[in-house]
Amino acid sequence: MNNISRRSMLVSLGATLGAASLGLAGCSSDGGSDDDKGADLSKNRTDAMDKFGVNEQFKASKPVAFTTLLNDNPGYPEKANWLFWTELAKRTNVTLKPTVVPLSDYENKRSVIIGGGDAPLLLPKTYPGQEAAFVSSGAILAVSDYVDLMPNFKDKLAKWNLQGDLDTVLQDDGKYYVLPGLHEDVWIDYSFAIRTDVLDELGLQIPKTLDELYSVLKAMKAAHPDSYPMTDRWSQPTPGGAMLQTFGQAFGAGYGGGWGYANAAYDSASDKFVLTGAMDQYKAMIAYAQKLVAEKLLDPESFTQTDDQANAKFTSGKSFVISTNAQELVNTYRPGLAKSVPSAKVVKIPVPTGPAGEVKVGLRLENGLMISKKARNSADFVAMMQFVDWLFYSDDGQIFAKWGVEGVTYTRDASGNFHLTNDVDYVGLNPTATKKLNVDFGFSNGNFAYGGSTQLLESTFSQEEKDFQKVMTARKTLPVPPPHPLNADEQEQFSLYEAPLKDYVQQQTLKFILGDRPLSEWDAFKGELKGKNGDQYLSLLNGAYDRFKKAKTGGDKS
Amino acid sequence: MVTLDTTAIEDKPTQPAGIRTTRGYRIFQVVNALILTAVIVVTLYPMINILARSFSGDGYIRSGKVNLLPRGFNITTYKAVMTNSMFWVNYRNTVVYTVVATVVAMLLTTVYAYVLSKKDLRGRGVLVGVAVFTMFFSGGLIPNYVLVTSLGLKNSVWAIALPNAISVFNLLVMKAFFEGLPVELEEQAAIDGLNTYGTLWRVVLPLSKAVLATMVLFYAVSFWNSWFAAFLYMDHSDLMPVTVYLRNLIYGSTNATSVGFSEADATAVGANIQAVTIVLTTLPILVVYPFVQRYFVSGVTLGAVKG
Repeated sequence: MNNISRRSMLVSLGATLGAASLGLAGCSSDGGSDDDKGADLSKNRTDAMDKFGVNEQFKASKPVAFTTLLNDNPGYPEKANWLFWTELAKRTNVTLKPTVVPLSDYENKRSVIIGGGDAPLLLPKTYPGQEAAFVSSGAILAVSDYVDLMPNFKDKLAKWNLQGDLDTVLQDDGKYYVLPGLHEDVWIDYSFAIRTDVLDELGLQIPKTLDELYSVLKAMKAAHPDSYPMTDRWSQPTPGGAMLQTFGQAFGAGYGGGWGYANAAYDSASDKFVLTGAMDQYKAMIAYAQKLVAEKLLDPESFTQTDDQANAKFTSGKSFVISTNAQELVNTYRPGLAKSVPSAKVVKIPVPTGPAGEVKVGLRLENGLMISKKARNSADFVAMMQFVDWLFYSDDGQIFAKWGVEGVTYTRDASGNFHLTNDVDYVGLNPTATKKLNVDFGFSNGNFAYGGSTQLLESTFSQEEKDFQKVMTARKTLPVPPPHPLNADEQEQFSLYEAPLKDYVQQQTLKFILGDRPLSEWDAFKGELKGKNGDQYLSLLNGAYDRFKKAKTGGDKS
Repeated sequence: MVTLDTTAIEDKPTQPAGIRTTRGYRIFQVVNALILTAVIVVTLYPMINILARSFSGDGYIRSGKVNLLPRGFNITTYKAVMTNSMFWVNYRNTVVYTVVATVVAMLLTTVYAYVLSKKDLRGRGVLVGVAVFTMFFSGGLIPNYVLVTSLGLKNSVWAIALPNAISVFNLLVMKAFFEGLPVELEEQAAIDGLNTYGTLWRVVLPLSKAVLATMVLFYAVSFWNSWFAAFLYMDHSDLMPVTVYLRNLIYGSTNATSVGFSEADATAVGANIQAVTIVLTTLPILVVYPFVQRYFVSGVTLGAVKG
């Protein structure tokens, strides 16, 4: 809580200061190359390529250097001698000069240096939505004005039909300020880990739906009456982070509860935004979870305990079902169980479906890049945009950032599959190797390697994870909610409503689930949401959405 | 040599010989001992737990099996951390930053406090006011950042040492201590021909060893533990102090597994590596503390009672 308020304070500080400096810049008489689309770029073409097309190798005409912020992951701390830096310079003539910021406080420092006017040109690792705080400061470039310099970005956008996803990052001025990572398909990683040896013992199948999951838990409880068949983790700070997200999506309550919870969900029937917490689907999710708790199938401590406590219950064999992702299954559950219950077998099951059917929801946007406004006036601006396009959006650039150099860190077989070279390991794919792809070479670095085609994403997955993804890929992806960009005043009002409403819904959700409040009070609860400015909140969003629709139809006519 | 020992007051109630303790008093002692033992256990447990973790295998820690004794005993984690060059680079930075910042802070705080302790100095109220004002109002994060950056202090030890050179609390404690010294001593020194600096150096400071020791400790410990200034003003990992290194290690690994970070970030740092780093980082303070903690106690009461 403390953290958040400090961060938001920083952000607002940054915004205020930035706005002040923008005002000053407006007074000065430097001619102002501000914001005019298709502005004259003739002075900014130094070192750029005359023609730069899709999947062409970018190379600056002479060596240049660009500054960048770098999110320093303790798992692979930055090294100046990474092959990534040297090979990048060799291929593109670009040297990146990083300002290294510890991952622990990356967002704090980013706010301060943008506010202080000291930001590097490239600001990676910006999650969609985080850029909104900096837009009014005028310190960040409206990148949507310059996507014509980025053929690969436009190509992927068209090829994967991503315009709808991209519209969600539009600001009120109809522009966007972040270049998000683009995924070909929605990537689902979180599901449940289940003990298949216990299933076999009881003659049960892997549950495919929430109803089947309920029967399985019930049968487990009958066989082991003293234990809670399911315990859960990822409850701090958001109770039921992964579990309620999965449940809620299965019932069709927007992005679900837990981590996925957003105050508003789009209701296509009425073409309006509604409060997620007041949806019947959300109520159904609560009723389901409450049933699990009431029948002692789900450990009530699931919503309060730490991850370590939950892991300990699962790995010591006291519980048989727990939330998981691909990493935790391999890194935590299996090694832990191997020590206490050697006969245990555990798998990650395809996400159980519910009334919403065989669907998946999610954005295909990944964290991405902001660019400092001051870059626009640099002579190398065009070269920089081309470089960004190559590294982050071209097939070759993405393969390079993820896998490195062919023959040195990886090889490809005839069917295009990637293999690490003998002495290189990444996420345990090559356990005997002495060097690591990210630690020793700087590839598969979260700052530069993300997004891309499903084939590229899955190239580092184990076979069982590929099987999981196969099931998930076959499910239909629901369309994303329509854009509803807020203006600065609305944004401020919005953030005043946002947190209290969210906290209240999550708090009451927990009370309902744990049985502290009977579900018969559901209507009263819906009334209480009004008291938390629920109606004003919705009219804000719906107003902005209407405005967007009008602007769009108006724009199409002209 | 005159020594001032402010801890001379005995706080243990003395019993006249021959009088037996009352029953109530004995019960009080037992209860007292029990409560204090509980406090000791609560305080020591996390430390012992971390120590046990540092010698344990990662798998045992992750499945929550390590409490007071190490499981899967090994010292390979220590070897791994101690052969990590960045850890030692950051460790050296911490030592350098602490020493330089403490020296600067002591120098400035001492002279400022000495000036403030002169009651007949004109404008003394303004000087006190300037210092106290900063206790309640600060320029804010971004203005500070802009200031330090435009002074060109970024990426140097001065970014850490200068903005934090005077802690107003320490300054006021020292001022109170100096005020408690007999004026006659300084008058005598002046008669014998010492100027102001000579008086400070040869008369006042030798009499103030208690407060100086306390202040050095206050400053040194706070600089050793601090991370924010370095985090803000240093742009390269080889300039960071070990506290930032540690913070990143712990926070990074807890978050990588809990907030659904993207795949490339999900590289968890071993829980045993965290534990070893914590042990090695806190070790110097832990080793020194028992020998100097009496200065901390005396430091808190310094200037509390004006003689």
